[in-house]
Amino acid sequence: MEIKKQKEGTNLTINLAGRLDTTTAPQLDNELKSVLDGIQNLVMDFEELEYISSAGLRVLLGTEKVMKKQGQMVIRNANDTIMEVFEITGFADILTIE
Amino acid sequence: MDLHCQMIIDEYLENRESFDKIKEILVEELNKIIKELGLYVVAVEARVKEEKSLSGKLELKGYKYASLADITDIVGARVVTFYIDDVDRISALLEKRFIIDWENSVDKRKLSNNEFGYMSLHYICQIPESLYYDPEHPEINETKIEVQLRTALQHVWATINHDTGYKSDIEIPAKFKRGLNRLAGLLEIADDEFKTISDSIDMYRSEVAGLIKDSRFEDIELNGDSFKDYIAIKPFESLSKKIADVNHAELTESNMQRFLNVLKWLEFENLGQIEDMRKDYEEDAYRLGKHQIVGRDIDILSESIGLQNLCIIYILKHEGREQKLKQFFDKLNGEKPRNIKSAERIIKEAKEINII
Repeated sequence: MEIKKQKEGTNLTINLAGRLDTTTAPQLDNELKSVLDGIQNLVMDFEELEYISSAGLRVLLGTEKVMKKQGQMVIRNANDTIMEVFEITGFADILTIE
Repeated sequence: MDLHCQMIIDEYLENRESFDKIKEILVEELNKIIKELGLYVVAVEARVKEEKSLSGKLELKGYKYASLADITDIVGARVVTFYIDDVDRISALLEKRFIIDWENSVDKRKLSNNEFGYMSLHYICQIPESLYYDPEHPEINETKIEVQLRTALQHVWATINHDTGYKSDIEIPAKFKRGLNRLAGLLEIADDEFKTISDSIDMYRSEVAGLIKDSRFEDIELNGDSFKDYIAIKPFESLSKKIADVNHAELTESNMQRFLNVLKWLEFENLGQIEDMRKDYEEDAYRLGKHQIVGRDIDILSESIGLQNLCIIYILKHEGREQKLKQFFDKLNGEKPRNIKSAERIIKEAKEINII
């Protein structure tokens, strides 16, 4: 999985490419832990993300909890496969998806 | 200004720092009382009388005061509440926490039958040593201070009445005085009505809680209060757990209150109808959930999954399901063009397991 970060002041956009699963989720978790301090608007751009597993959902859930205290997190451009995961797990109403 | 008044001013200037300290202690204690009572008030205001204002007062009626100690409003605070009974609740604690000068404290809410005007509860009090004591500044405990308690509407009337520019009631021309008094009567009624509504809401909430406890769901209108209490008994937890158990998944917390909007849109009017939906469609909701997650790398679900699937099955069993399912996702997750795809997917899945 490839992680690209773009920071402008308190805005951070993270572009993910590939698969967010048991193998790659810890990598994203570590990356996020080091960059979320002071961020008020976090955009997770999933345009190039192909797949998400439960491990990925857990990272998103943890990040959402952090961002709720300091601002907001929005997920953008999720493909149909990922949207289906969000819907059948009920995560679509926990996360903010645009 | 005569010598006597000048002496009072000098005494004021000498103690100015202590007055600021008194103000600080007073505000802190008032805020503490409000917090202890769990109240939300409009404002807690405090001030130390400015030298200019004190001079003005002395020029008008300096002869009345032998010393600065006779002036009881050098430090003053005011608590403005939303409800009449909040004034009484705050006053009850205030009387315990401060030394009250009962002779000079006045309940200006006690007007005669044909009197309408200024209403407020005024206390003249002192800071007890139990609250603050500094042997080098005994004046902090000796100084008389004024605390006013009133409702927001009483405050509005008092402020506008004061803003007319007339220094006392007797200066106000009769036709304006009558108008102000009529308004005082009106605001007094409004204060009573707000209290009645507040009491009724409290009573309604405890009635709803009682009906839910007794499972008398059909008697409970679906609204924000009742849904909150209903969700608190976790009526969909067993269904969500049953779905999660398919994959040995865990359930994560979710804001179930969001479903109120959806259930209202589905035209549920009382909790009994929701209970009927739960009983009638629980098995199909489980089967749909199982079909969706079995064999997939999913071991975490939202605790709302049970209710979400119940709503989906309810829609599938009624007319116009494809469009209605799209609208369901619009309501729950926001309007998106792809919601129609979600609706189509669910209809396909429901057909695969013969729900429709």
